[in-house]
Amino acid sequence: MKRTNKLLAAVALTAGLSALVGCVDTAGTVVTTDHATGSTLVLEDNTRLKGQIQVLRVNYDEVNGLKRVHITLASTKHKRLIVDYRIAWFDANGMELDADAKTYRNQIVEGRESVTVTGVATSAAAVSSKLRVRSTSASD
Amino acid sequence: MKQSVFAMAGVAAAAMMMSGCASMPEVREVALDRAPITSKLEPQDVRRTVEKMTESLLSAPGVREAVGGTRPVLDVEPLKNRTSQHVDMVSVTDSLRSQLLRSGMFRFVDKSTSGTDIEFMDAQAQLGLTDPKKAIKGGQQSAAQMYLTGALSEIKNQVGRTVDQYYKFSMVLKDLRSGEIVWSDEKEIRKESVAPRMGW
Repeated sequence: MKRTNKLLAAVALTAGLSALVGCVDTAGTVVTTDHATGSTLVLEDNTRLKGQIQVLRVNYDEVNGLKRVHITLASTKHKRLIVDYRIAWFDANGMELDADAKTYRNQIVEGRESVTVTGVATSAAAVSSKLRVRSTSASD
Repeated sequence: MKQSVFAMAGVAAAAMMMSGCASMPEVREVALDRAPITSKLEPQDVRRTVEKMTESLLSAPGVREAVGGTRPVLDVEPLKNRTSQHVDMVSVTDSLRSQLLRSGMFRFVDKSTSGTDIEFMDAQAQLGLTDPKKAIKGGQQSAAQMYLTGALSEIKNQVGRTVDQYYKFSMVLKDLRSGEIVWSDEKEIRKESVAPRMGW
């Protein structure tokens, strides 16, 4: 009887682990910047990523009449990290501009290093930007 | 009791194995920016390149200087493919043109569709279906003041089971009147794939 229970427990554990495969946490760190007021909001939704990548600095300017944002990310780990990031742009009504054209880009961050990622709005209507950083394992 | 548990476990294992023997392939939609699956050039590489080039061109100080307050007429030449693999360079060019067009900084002409333009004009002039006053006559089209061109090149190295693949997109924007290169940029992509020890 004891043995049967152990066997059933092993089967249940295997089934549980199989069900968990594919459950990748796709949440990440979000940095929202309002280019009109200069306010920046950092939201860290992924505990694992929060312990690996920190948002150091957010700068913004304008070039050729288009908004531009520079966000400095720092690795808190000693090992090399690979993350994906995407910078989206929104108009005054909060509508996303060129959503399909904005891709997730790959970024390698060496141990304890910082990198600055830059995004340029391709439309003069953009007033705010949103950087989303996610773990590369979330890219399927 | 023990035997029946083992029998049940056996049936369950067999059922799990059989479930993979379907004749139809498993199809699902995936994200456009998915992780790489080969060392070849993939859609996400093209998308990232187009985005990077568009942002670089629109924010370059030299472009602003050349454009001034006007919206110059631009043509986009299909990029040259200098790699050993087939890449639809016209599609890359089309994506780039669409993104630049949406920025509102340039106006565009398309040399590749000039033949169709002539067919329409000939039809309007000759078939007698179109009001002659409204028929579009030749010699009125805008002239390209600048053109965008570029190339894709690759370097491939293989050591044992490891393939190291390097791609470089390089693009230039040239002013037709002055002959000067107004903007130029590159996008590099490097991928590595390791073949499995067993397999064919």
